[in-house]
Amino acid sequence: MSTYRVTGKGRVDTSRAVNFTFDGKTYTGAAGDTVASALLANGVHLMGRSFKYHRPRGAIAAGSEEPNALIGTRRGAGRFEPNTRATVQEIWPGLETTSQNKFPSLKWDVGAVNDAAYMLFSAGFYYKTFMWPKSFWDKVYEPFIRAAAGLGVSPTENDPDTYASRYLHCDILIVGAGPAGLAAARTAAGKGLSVVVVDENAEMGGSILSEPQATINGTPAWDWLKSELADLKAAGVKLMTRTTAIGYYHENMIGMVEKLTDHLTDLPKDTPRERMWRVRAKQVVLAQGALEKPLVFHGNDRPGVMLAGSAQTYLNRYGVLVGKRPAVITSHDSAWFSAFDMQDAGAKVQAIVDTRHNVRDDLLAMARERGITVKTGHTATATAGRLRVSKLRVNPVNSGTVGAGEWIGCDCVLMSGGWTPSLHLFSHTKGKLTWDEDMTTFLPDETPEDCVIAGAGRGLWGIEAVLNDGATRATEVLEALSAATDAPTFTVGEDRTGSGITMRELPTDRSPGKAKAFVDYQNDVTAKDLRLAVREGMRSIEHVKRYTTNGMATDQGKMSNINGLNIASDALGKRQPEVGLTTFRPPYTPTTFGAFAGYHRGDHFEVTRKTQIDPWAEANGAVFEPVGQWRRAWYFPKGGETMDQAVSRECAATRNSVGIFDASTLGKIEVVGPDAVEFMNRMYTNPWTKLAPGRCRYGLLLGDDGFIRDDGVIGRLSQDRFHVTTTTGGAARVLNMMEDYLQTEWPDLNVWLTSTTEQWSTIALNGPNAAKLLAPFVEGVELTEATFPHMSCVECTVAGFPARLFRVSFTGEIGFEVNVPAPHGRALWEKLWEAGQQYGITAYGTETMHVLRAEKGYIIVGQDTDGTVTPYDCDMGWAIGKAKPDFVGKRGLARPDLMDHSNRKHLVGLLTDDNSKLEEGAQIVFDPNQPLPMTMVGHVTSSYDTGTMGRPIALALVKGGLEKMGDTVYIPMPDRTISAKITGTVFLDPENSRLKIKEGDA
Amino acid sequence: MLLIHCPYCEETLPEAEFAYAGQAHVIRPENPSGETDEQWEEFLFIRENPKGPHYERWRHIHGCGRFFNALRDTVSDRFYTTYKAGEPRPDLSDFLGDDA
Amino acid sequence: MSISISPLNPTVIGDTAAVRVAQMAPVGRLSLRARGDLAALNGALGLTLPTKIGTRATAGDLSAACLGPDEWVLTMPEGDVAGVEAALAGAYDALPHSVTNISAREVTFEITGPMAETLMTIGCPRDMASMGEGAVRRTLFDTATVVLWRDGADAFRMDVWNSFAGFVAQTLETGCRELAADMARAG
Repeated sequence: MSTYRVTGKGRVDTSRAVNFTFDGKTYTGAAGDTVASALLANGVHLMGRSFKYHRPRGAIAAGSEEPNALIGTRRGAGRFEPNTRATVQEIWPGLETTSQNKFPSLKWDVGAVNDAAYMLFSAGFYYKTFMWPKSFWDKVYEPFIRAAAGLGVSPTENDPDTYASRYLHCDILIVGAGPAGLAAARTAAGKGLSVVVVDENAEMGGSILSEPQATINGTPAWDWLKSELADLKAAGVKLMTRTTAIGYYHENMIGMVEKLTDHLTDLPKDTPRERMWRVRAKQVVLAQGALEKPLVFHGNDRPGVMLAGSAQTYLNRYGVLVGKRPAVITSHDSAWFSAFDMQDAGAKVQAIVDTRHNVRDDLLAMARERGITVKTGHTATATAGRLRVSKLRVNPVNSGTVGAGEWIGCDCVLMSGGWTPSLHLFSHTKGKLTWDEDMTTFLPDETPEDCVIAGAGRGLWGIEAVLNDGATRATEVLEALSAATDAPTFTVGEDRTGSGITMRELPTDRSPGKAKAFVDYQNDVTAKDLRLAVREGMRSIEHVKRYTTNGMATDQGKMSNINGLNIASDALGKRQPEVGLTTFRPPYTPTTFGAFAGYHRGDHFEVTRKTQIDPWAEANGAVFEPVGQWRRAWYFPKGGETMDQAVSRECAATRNSVGIFDASTLGKIEVVGPDAVEFMNRMYTNPWTKLAPGRCRYGLLLGDDGFIRDDGVIGRLSQDRFHVTTTTGGAARVLNMMEDYLQTEWPDLNVWLTSTTEQWSTIALNGPNAAKLLAPFVEGVELTEATFPHMSCVECTVAGFPARLFRVSFTGEIGFEVNVPAPHGRALWEKLWEAGQQYGITAYGTETMHVLRAEKGYIIVGQDTDGTVTPYDCDMGWAIGKAKPDFVGKRGLARPDLMDHSNRKHLVGLLTDDNSKLEEGAQIVFDPNQPLPMTMVGHVTSSYDTGTMGRPIALALVKGGLEKMGDTVYIPMPDRTISAKITGTVFLDPENSRLKIKEGDA
Repeated sequence: MLLIHCPYCEETLPEAEFAYAGQAHVIRPENPSGETDEQWEEFLFIRENPKGPHYERWRHIHGCGRFFNALRDTVSDRFYTTYKAGEPRPDLSDFLGDDA
Repeated sequence: MSISISPLNPTVIGDTAAVRVAQMAPVGRLSLRARGDLAALNGALGLTLPTKIGTRATAGDLSAACLGPDEWVLTMPEGDVAGVEAALAGAYDALPHSVTNISAREVTFEITGPMAETLMTIGCPRDMASMGEGAVRRTLFDTATVVLWRDGADAFRMDVWNSFAGFVAQTLETGCRELAADMARAG
């Protein structure tokens, strides 16, 4: 049995010893212990060092609000987590834990020199210290800050755990399973409603777990708790432990993180470590209880100084005395009971020191009965002890004057500055707070959400009051759900009601300027820092917060916000409600990235869309690139080829014989109905009325602002049916835009749109031998210039598959696009591949596609255009049906700024004088000798080395470029300036002779 | 995450099924080419940015696919109502009473 | 990760005590769009097209589910597609409409077992309780738009576009194992 374990106390199972390590040393705890309770049972208070001053620290709390006792936990490779609260982490055999912010050891730390250099690190030190000289920033300050910054150490290995997520819809969600939450659940249970109770602890019960002396309706509290939980479960209430409600979002959506495995010795197969619940509740009951406030005095952070209520929890819930000679300093009645419990469990309470002059007689009597020294009207002014508190200095205060100090020897100090409701989730709802002058705290007022707050969370004290409030509040919720019922009533014996006063930093006889009286423990913010911030001109509490970092630590101000507010408002000379509270933000407690990512991690991070032909490309060594959500074959390197070599080979093969390309990702939209042609006339720039069935046309889509949005080849399959293709990335956007116009501007048109992108696999064949290769497979049409000229389309059979065959070219060669029902794409590809061997058929990827089209000056929307380019800017006025009364973008093109043609940037070709390849995105100037900053007149949009042309080519947007053919422009680069001549965009075969199928070619 | 009532599906559903689609009741002119530059600028670019009730469009993109209109408060994010495309703009006072 | 899905070769995605997910054999699917008096189409199809979104009607092997105010998905054996197309074409003059073959666009997963509904909640933001037996909805699962059919308390079908199917299948498979582990822990 550990030295500080009390037989017969607590809910842990001391018959089951659990060994774990802390900083390499093995400790024994009991099943049910947290790391903190187990260490305290072994007499260990020193659990970490603070972030800024590296001051030695111990646990000051027993729950998730703990700011100090942050540890690293390890479970083999990859399973290391920093900043875990020792007060929450349950122990299991073999758990490895380590302290943080220490070097070389927890007990002897070099960084503690910061503590001595205290004056340097006062409020706003970041803003003051690292100002000058400027040259110090890169080499001195930034490395220093980076080395010192960060809490704990980031894990370096991949996290091998899995994470999950789930949606849950319920009628009533109750957050917190203390007396208020359980009474609410009891009231709501069995009414045919779905009720969920959630609690962050391993066990439900909240404060009941720390108050076994009470009786509820005549039954001992713990027996009542056990049967109550069983009853609730039997009534169908969903009880969720180890689950933290981290945020309250719009319309009663609550984010909750359930920890499933962190407390287990063996990880069960297929069980995620954590699960994010996205809960939508019709009504929410917030029953999160209250948090105890520390008292603010010099040395209130020394290991062994702890919240009195937490000491009571360690004793009654875990069976651990946090010390054997406690001294108590309090401004609230509750700490007196903690002292009595400890005394009754065998500790010798050295003194109960109360800042109040008048204390309830029954408390004084109970202290007297136990022979405990009582000092009322006293303040605490110091603690002493190197790594653990050994004495507390207290002084009498009379009429504001602090008298002589007296040291009280002790091995722990229990403090209580009173209690503040846990307002975090309520604040997430944009709930209004109201200031309660008597309790000197904010209480919840109105919220826009369908939510009530019950129990200690709205300032009530004592189990009976809280139970009955939980029940009453639940009836309000039930009424809103049309399930009105009477509230059950609860009677509690041995209830510990009480009250207290609120203190700012405690009065002292010493220089307040030298006091290290901590308000925010984790960020090392003292009362002096807060007052300094106000002296230096911070008026808003938000500024005070950021200047001092008070409340910005991972505990989100649970300990510090109210104390900080009280001190800041005193310094400002204003009442607290005039100063206001800073915003509480989600998450309530630190949350892993894994919980947010859920299933979406690693190669399941997001959807990767693949075509039916993708497995062939993968098997044939393709290198892929992402295009939107798709992955597309980029190029097919052979035998150690570089990308340039592969692309050059693919280009040459396509120009000289035949290339095969997977174009399945092209967006496809079926436009059907009697008004299909009218719809096409209105959407696209081109005229469609005279396009005969069986013919296709390049279509250009603008926004109403006149700028190019998308393009693609569109075939008319019948009078009332068009097969529209879009760019790969534009498919969803174009369909959305079409639906928008159709549904909201032209609802009179009888035409419907259906996405057929995934209905078809699309294989493009290009090259002088394309027709020869394809013809034998095609039934229903002859592939000759006469019977199936360029820009034809037909429904036919290809290799036995029903097909839509298009004669189109994005390369300048004879080209076909064969569409077959998607699942047959791979089979068709393989047939063409086999038959194409006699022509040396070559598979090419998107890079070769880009080069081949650039040689012909075909634009790629989104690369050569950027949403500010008109058809006229691209010299594509030919694509505009000028006779049409209207189309999307027609009026936009007539805007005066777009009509000013000479001042627009035009898409032109560029050929460098030195035959070097330009960088895509490089800026262009007319005069390279002008002073800086130069006037930029455009940029390079596409640039490739091309084997066909024997030199690099580029496309660029250049101001007035279409009127500057042959002119020289300059591209300044970091090492030199490149000169280039403006040309047309068509570099190859301007007469389009290569498109023609010659006799005997098919 | 908001809850949005789709007037076509007649169901109130999570925001994740919907896409925002800008201000409502911006009507594309019958004959855009007849518009002056100022009128066209007004149609194309000028939008309200109210703090409070806002008439706006949403699309039930992962559901029935329909565009519809909504009256939503941009401060509280609460929807007062949703209604089908083409239906008249509901009166603010129906929802805000005398505050409208 | 995503599971490799071949539309022509259905496989079992996951099979645990909690839930079974299996890819179904291809079926014929037509997207039908129309508005106005549907009598001519009803006559051609031999069933009455349901007009409330989320409901369906069946006649023999043909079923029609209403997905939008003017949208139905018709399902039938693959061999019947041409016949249904022809029948609808005959009604075109009486009521112009749009029929588009989408048989090859998507694959269908069948989801059955005691925790089938729970499996849906790992990806569907909507309340599954709002979909009773016989309901059908286009909705969201994870990041993919799907058509979800509820065939029974513990039985769903999910239509997913081909290129999303592997990703969705992987999520479902992970869920199958996770739910089985949940069941095992709960005893």
